[in-house]
Amino acid sequence: MSQIPNLQNGPIDFTPIRDQSHKELISILKNIRGKKCLVLDPKLGGPLSLIVLTSVLKEHGAELHHLNEDPIESTCTKVVYLVQTQLHLMKLIASHIRSDTSKGLQREYFLYFVPRRAVACEKLLEEEKVHNLITIGEFPLYAIPVDEDILSFELDSSCKEFLTDGDTTSLWHIAKAIHKLEFAYGLIPNVRAKGKASVRVADMLNRMQDEEPVNSTDTDVPEINTVILIDREVDMITPMCCQLTYEGLLDEFLHINNGAVEIDGSIMDANEKDGKKKKVPLNSTDKLFRETRDLNFEVVVQVLRQKATSMKQDYTEMQSTNQTVSELKDFVKKLNSLPEMTRHINLAQHLSALTSKPSFSGRLDMEQTILEAESYDICFDHIEEMIHKQEPLVSVLRLLILLSVTNAGLPKRNFDYIRREILHSYGFEHIATLNNLEKAGLVKKQEGKSNWLTIKRALQLIVEDTDTTNPKDVSYVFSGYAPLSIRLIQHAIRSGWRPLEEILKLLPGTHTESKRSAFANANGPSSDILPGMDKPQDGRRSLVLVVFVGGVTFAEISALRFLSSQEGMAYDIIIGTTKIINGNTLTETFMGNMG
Amino acid sequence: MGDLGLEEFPLCMAVIEPKYTMSGNVEVLLGVGDHVLLVEEDGGVQVVGEGLGPLQKMVVSCNGKLLASFTHDGQLLVMPTDFSSIIFEYACETAIAPEQLVWCGMDSVLLYWDDMLLMVGPYGDPVRYIYDEPIILIPECDGARILSNSTMEFLQRVPASTESIFKIGSTEPAALLYDALDHFDRRSAKADENLRLIRSSLPEAVEACVDAAGHEFDPSLQQTLLRAASYGQAFCSQFQRESIQEMSKTLRVLNAVRSPEIGIPLSIQQYKLLTPSVLIGRLVNAHQHLLALRISGYLGLNQEVVIMHWACSKLTVSSAIPDPTLLEILLDKLKLCRGISYAAVAGHADQTGRRKLAAMLVEHEPLSSKQVPLLLGIGEEDTALTKSTESGDTDLIYLVLFHIWQKRPPLELFGMIQARPLARDLFIRYARCYKHEFLKDFFLSTGQLHDVAYLLWKESWEMAKNPMAAGRGYSLHGPRIKLIEKAQNLFAETKEHVFESKAAEEHAKLLRIQHELEVSTKQPIFVDSSISDTIRTCIVLGNHRAAMKVKTEFKVSEKRWYWLKVFALATIRDWDALEKFSKEKRPPVGYKPFVEACIDADEKTEAVKYITKLADPREKAEVSLYLKHSKHLHVNAT
Repeated sequence: MSQIPNLQNGPIDFTPIRDQSHKELISILKNIRGKKCLVLDPKLGGPLSLIVLTSVLKEHGAELHHLNEDPIESTCTKVVYLVQTQLHLMKLIASHIRSDTSKGLQREYFLYFVPRRAVACEKLLEEEKVHNLITIGEFPLYAIPVDEDILSFELDSSCKEFLTDGDTTSLWHIAKAIHKLEFAYGLIPNVRAKGKASVRVADMLNRMQDEEPVNSTDTDVPEINTVILIDREVDMITPMCCQLTYEGLLDEFLHINNGAVEIDGSIMDANEKDGKKKKVPLNSTDKLFRETRDLNFEVVVQVLRQKATSMKQDYTEMQSTNQTVSELKDFVKKLNSLPEMTRHINLAQHLSALTSKPSFSGRLDMEQTILEAESYDICFDHIEEMIHKQEPLVSVLRLLILLSVTNAGLPKRNFDYIRREILHSYGFEHIATLNNLEKAGLVKKQEGKSNWLTIKRALQLIVEDTDTTNPKDVSYVFSGYAPLSIRLIQHAIRSGWRPLEEILKLLPGTHTESKRSAFANANGPSSDILPGMDKPQDGRRSLVLVVFVGGVTFAEISALRFLSSQEGMAYDIIIGTTKIINGNTLTETFMGNMG
Repeated sequence: MGDLGLEEFPLCMAVIEPKYTMSGNVEVLLGVGDHVLLVEEDGGVQVVGEGLGPLQKMVVSCNGKLLASFTHDGQLLVMPTDFSSIIFEYACETAIAPEQLVWCGMDSVLLYWDDMLLMVGPYGDPVRYIYDEPIILIPECDGARILSNSTMEFLQRVPASTESIFKIGSTEPAALLYDALDHFDRRSAKADENLRLIRSSLPEAVEACVDAAGHEFDPSLQQTLLRAASYGQAFCSQFQRESIQEMSKTLRVLNAVRSPEIGIPLSIQQYKLLTPSVLIGRLVNAHQHLLALRISGYLGLNQEVVIMHWACSKLTVSSAIPDPTLLEILLDKLKLCRGISYAAVAGHADQTGRRKLAAMLVEHEPLSSKQVPLLLGIGEEDTALTKSTESGDTDLIYLVLFHIWQKRPPLELFGMIQARPLARDLFIRYARCYKHEFLKDFFLSTGQLHDVAYLLWKESWEMAKNPMAAGRGYSLHGPRIKLIEKAQNLFAETKEHVFESKAAEEHAKLLRIQHELEVSTKQPIFVDSSISDTIRTCIVLGNHRAAMKVKTEFKVSEKRWYWLKVFALATIRDWDALEKFSKEKRPPVGYKPFVEACIDADEKTEAVKYITKLADPREKAEVSLYLKHSKHLHVNAT
């Protein structure tokens, strides 16, 4: 099975977007004749593998390298850098070129920025005195279909950049990505945004429409009816909790990267002992995965067991009685799904071993306790103990963020104490981590009273007696906690922000709603309050694009898919995100890098 | 092109444009001796047409297919440019080469001697014209223009459609249709008779009338021909109406530009070859903006070119008009065209020395990516910064920042960005990557001492990562500690940063202690590990005194101390020491660390010793259950 997913069965066909990117990339390679050394930003390798096969790159004369400190060892005289628009990468490129020059190597350098050129990067190249040696271009890859219903803008650290550094570059990229989407699928008439960053994106989107209008006529029904933008900052709680869906749990333990996990070969095949890593693709092209990915993991185990049992039964029948040809055919068909079965049984077994450890249930208990917000001291002591045990810092920080966010910060004494314990246990370089988290407001000194209890109650975030087998509510994805972000989206889809104003005010950032049309007057779109969304026409469901500014977790994606699958639902949901994240990857963006 | 090694000058020469050659490169024909040399761009030379010459004159037709030449013995030869055959031959009365040899359209050739112009066509006898004054012949795609001192004439072979209608005594369907209209106008029944005669070929007749109208220069004749076409078209169903409309449209444009005030006497074929947009370009260059605007509007072309040219011309000639008035005049016209680039007009205003007007104009530019660079160009840096911030496009903000950075003294830059958070943050982001010292200046200028402190602290790590920069190995910790202490003092300046100041102080102290430990143990394993790790390392090395010293120096709590020591002892599997430690006093965190450390090390028997001492009964039960369960697993596995 390929890592490149089949996109045609989704609520909207993303194939044209992928094809366009594919074409653009190939034409870049074609325009540089002959053999060339293609040096990839390691961050781009994964996303590109969702667009083009490595073999195709090689067919076009590309010899693949990853960008790092080491100079390029290659006989090629043409070097093509393909990198994200990031300042720190410029220094690497400059050092490569200088190293070549000092060795007397004469090479032609090409630098393609993804998704676009940037003055700041080029300025740095000028300062490094290599700018005039490089031919610069751009590869406008603004969005990548990760699966049939998910677009990723591949902005790994957008949340940190916005919250800590005040850098809004990624917001412009998001707006541009959505605007490009509008050129393909028509102007999106309704825009709802919650959170500082999202409201900015919505503004920029309107501005882009003024500057470069998407032309569509009134008779054209736009494919996407509504876009809902929501800041990760609005709900920092959900990503910090351990995801309990099958895909979410795979991500928590094995880290799904661009629709695949890399795991020890021994997990998939007990006979393999050479410790080789194996790449397992995970996307909706795999039918069994499509069926199970969004289920609570407990249920997945049952489903797999059922399937295995029924197969075994078939097998026994096959041996005992005489079968007709068509029955044989059915049996063989079932056999074809055997590799998928084996794959998922192996993965599930691995996860089961990890989740049955006491430390895992301890962690879930603690998350639950923090969310219920009734015993602050127990939680604080637990985190303190984790630090003393020197458990991985990222696990500590996840719980600490959870505790700080639900309590509107930590009391000054606790705050200073826990920070000191962290510096003592993990090293003083983490002053940078703490500073980043404080600037972003994720771990901070207590200010005022926490709204968490009000929010939790008003939005019914904690659901008792969640039935994970036959879920009636999105809370099944966390076995009893309904993600805050998803609750907000549920409301936004059903009735817009208006009935929710009071609660929205308690959450970070402002919110806006606007209606746009292709013939907006010069004053920009009117901001009339919308009535509930229009009823779907001719039985076809309209589409809602939910954009997470700052990342989305698999559990949230599962919850949205669950909402789409409900019968009373008038909309199909597609998802846009800066990146698919989990608590670890999100927290890690705030870590490290002194200063 | 290469050296041909010719001994004599070529007699004549002609060039075939690249678009007409097989090779796609330019080719040159040279008449040399009795043959012709075909020279290609890459230096290839072929001999063609051997025995034809010597040729005195050669000329290639407009479409590059045919070559007309005049031989030494007075023959006019027409052949394809590949010299494969002679298509046409005409013997002139004289062997003196004509002064000019020119194609007239695609199928006739003009020869001019002294006062005589000879037109040789494929059919019939040549035509002679006598001129009293000298003339110049200019070839066109469908004829030739004849310029004399006083007149310009256009000479063209009569088009087939015109001939079919107006040839004396013509009985072609088109002629009959034209005649029918005449009868119809005079209310004569003959009209109907004519029509009936040509019923079957009516569409061709209509087509011919339309075509003839196109070739006509006289508007009243054009009208009559079109009326004839439209009259005929009423009787035939299958004829496409659009062609008459299309022709009327084209003729209106042609008549407009042919009028004496404009003076561009184009024929229809020339116009089509030229394309409307080129015609409009010529009109605006001749400052006929109104006509150009009307024509482009009439033909549904983009009017931006015209308005833009007009605006620029207007700017050039209006130096006497005050800015606000001129702005109004310009805006009034610019608004006619959606999406027009105000920035381009503003740029031109700036070039003509009207910077203030440029600033007013650029205000109207909707595309910030065009607006901002121009604002910078006219020195409106502050506005540029505001506009780029509004756009949200950080790339534009950087563009402005670097511009100001380059042009202004640092303090001015600092002042400008101080009040603009986005610009300030972007500046910091860039400077953090590349311009540390400059960034420190900025922070100092704004009084953000703690940010300077962070920078210094960061530099201390960079020094550790990159020891070459700071000199050799062991002397390194000195400068590092100095940097950290500097940071500590800066943090201490503000009371919000007491915590950071204290942390920096502890860090410096830790580095000193670690350095001493490395010296005394001769093992370079301490520097840059955390306090907890240092304690663990000391215990693992058996240096309990050092561990204790670190504990006291940094006031490590008893709780943490117990966890660290228990895990360190378990690491070296010193179970006796562990037990002794457990009995020192009642552990402040209970016996949980002991149990966990033993389980982690897979020493169940050791673990059991402490399980019974666990205070929390639930914990006790859980651990026991887990141990049992894992034993069970263990048995299963073996």
